[in-house]
Amino acid sequence: MTMFHFFNCAILTFGPHAIYYSATPLSEYDTLGTSVKAALVYLGTALVKVSENDGFDPYQELLKAVIGFIDVAGLYFALTQLTHRNISQNHKFQAVGLGWAFADSVLHRLAPLWVGARGLEFTWDFILQGLEANANLVLSISLAALGSLMWLRKNKPKTLIPIIYACAGIVATMPSITSYLRRGLGWHFPKVVGFELFTSLSMAFISWQLFSACQRPSS
Amino acid sequence: MVLSKNSGGHRGMQESMYSVIALVFILVACVELCDAAAAIDVYRLIQYDMSGSAYGSRFAVLNHHAASLHFPPGADLSRAVLIIPLRELNITFVREYINQKKPLGGLLFLLPDIFSFENGGNKQVHEKEKLKNLLAELEQLLIHANIPYPVYFAFENDEIDTVLVDIKKNDAIGQPATATTGGYKLVIPTPEPKKVASPTITNIQGWLSGLKVDGDTNQLPTIAIVASYDTFGAAPALSVGSDSNGSGVVALLEIARLFSLLYSNPKTRGRYNLLFGLTSGGPYNYNGTQKWLRSFDQRLRESIDYAICLNSIGSWDNELWIHVSKPPENAYIKQIFEGFSNVAEELHIKVGLKHKKINISNPRVAWEHEQFSRLRVTAATLSEISTAPELLQGTGGLFDSRQFVNETAITRGVKLVAESLARHIYGHQGKNVQIFADGGSLAVNPAYIQSWLDLLSQTPRVAPFLSKNDPFVMALKKELADHTDEVNMQHEVLEGVFTFYDSTSARLNIYQVASVTFDLLLLLVLGSYLIVLFSFLVITTRGLDDLISLFRRPPSRKVKTA
Repeated sequence: MTMFHFFNCAILTFGPHAIYYSATPLSEYDTLGTSVKAALVYLGTALVKVSENDGFDPYQELLKAVIGFIDVAGLYFALTQLTHRNISQNHKFQAVGLGWAFADSVLHRLAPLWVGARGLEFTWDFILQGLEANANLVLSISLAALGSLMWLRKNKPKTLIPIIYACAGIVATMPSITSYLRRGLGWHFPKVVGFELFTSLSMAFISWQLFSACQRPSS
Repeated sequence: MVLSKNSGGHRGMQESMYSVIALVFILVACVELCDAAAAIDVYRLIQYDMSGSAYGSRFAVLNHHAASLHFPPGADLSRAVLIIPLRELNITFVREYINQKKPLGGLLFLLPDIFSFENGGNKQVHEKEKLKNLLAELEQLLIHANIPYPVYFAFENDEIDTVLVDIKKNDAIGQPATATTGGYKLVIPTPEPKKVASPTITNIQGWLSGLKVDGDTNQLPTIAIVASYDTFGAAPALSVGSDSNGSGVVALLEIARLFSLLYSNPKTRGRYNLLFGLTSGGPYNYNGTQKWLRSFDQRLRESIDYAICLNSIGSWDNELWIHVSKPPENAYIKQIFEGFSNVAEELHIKVGLKHKKINISNPRVAWEHEQFSRLRVTAATLSEISTAPELLQGTGGLFDSRQFVNETAITRGVKLVAESLARHIYGHQGKNVQIFADGGSLAVNPAYIQSWLDLLSQTPRVAPFLSKNDPFVMALKKELADHTDEVNMQHEVLEGVFTFYDSTSARLNIYQVASVTFDLLLLLVLGSYLIVLFSFLVITTRGLDDLISLFRRPPSRKVKTA
């Protein structure tokens, strides 16, 4: 029965990545290599970050936010420096975002899932973790989209540039915001996950709009 | 980090680094996520065979769902563990269950804090006496029954109280926990109980020599003071027997200390040898005492004037009993009794004499002095109990904890025995002389009594589970050696009639489990979520036509997503 629960939580956590890959045209363009490379870049940035601590300490959090921008740097690296096969802009950011989110899920959620979900003790944590993984996927793809807009697209409408950077900033600092909510304000896990899902959907919508707005002039 | 297209070697390094990271995460996760809802120490009911018949709880491993007393009538409890707090115990209910051999997965009794040493303290609990009597009754029921499922005892604490409240709520709704409805699962992973091979009983004796005047070749007479130190109770890991017979042991040690002070100076050394005996095997018809006496030299045995056995002198108010097996008209008995009565009067204690004849053909030995009497040595037992206890009764069970013993009672008892002995030894019978007066250098030391009583109340002493070199036995030996000239230990094997099984304590894990139906529902929900997600993505990125065309293809394409 408990392996069953592990299976359930695993498909909730990792299923959407596989589905995203196969449902969208990504699978047709064979962008798996891109995703894998993005995953490895993520691991590199993970090594650079410091470990978490329990309390909310403004100085520490500032430091962490700065370090959070290493995420952005890593993403920049993945988007611009890696040599990809000839894939359109549209698909490049999706593949990079997908690989990024997958690596994040595996690194942060696989081990606790394997160790904890198979035990007898039932807790809602793993289901919430899976939902968090979903939100993270959406956020990563939006961030990759905004990133590709910032660095790969040369001719952007002037008015939209500050909005793009602002949204990118919000999405990049999302980890700090969630940790502030959890530790500083003491929100419970379900509430935090709900907040993440909501923001990820709204951010995705906004980035989608920005992306299509930027796409129109350069047909 | 350098990444290249053909990063074979680099990839290998990264993979090993990744596995290191994963290991670190696993270690961290283990610490936080492997714990059960609650983990408490539990103590198993004793398992023993007596003359071939099996008694006690015959199993130790537990892996069942929990249920409380509020279970819906007619529910099947054969795979459930009943959690019963002592305060809510209905003894007829338990008796019915056991006598009618109704199937049950297990029993867990929750004892109030007052019966534990750490938390007992001086809490004033009303109905203390009522709980004590109830527990005594429960113990007698359990140790004389053959129970084919595990029975455990635990002390109440906050964790298990919250769990029990939850279980009661679920039971009240009418949903006892089973594999499909979730609830709490109790797991005790312990190996199967095995027989204790050759259980040893250890007798410790201390010899204090009397004053031998030059030219006197006769053997000096001896007075023996004896107490049995081992216990037997429903939960061997909790059988500390503070009153039975911790009080006797403490009194014996204090008397030994006082007389060693007197005997250390040849001017005050009496013309009697003193023999102190700490015997084991008390609950089993004083088997140890019998073996100890049989090991004596004939001359030594004949030189014993009389023996005083101490049994439970820790919780009396004003009345003590002297039990004898020789008739009260016997001159020696009269002398002993008069000596005690005189001292008792001065100390405002009432002492009564009880005579119980020995039946040689009956193997039951109710008092320790009977073993002496069977070998024709004059002996008496001093006790607060007025009637002879049955086999395995009054041998220091669960209810016999520190809370119910009174140091003042022991102090007065020590004074009574010491003064009576001293007057006999120094020939001051009938005279009003206070040798161990309060405030003097030979006063009874209440601190000594209290510290030994506290130690005894924390040490379970069921003989088969005390090894030859058990630290407690060594401590007793050392203490007696401090107060006497010569100490000997005698190791014997507890004979045939009794066989014991180990596995007396364990750790209980309480898990909150979800039912299989919950996971099935979850699977359904997740399956539909993923299907919806898939369709949504296909429609938004490739168009509705693509989605429909997927279904026209052969079925092997469809299962790609799960």
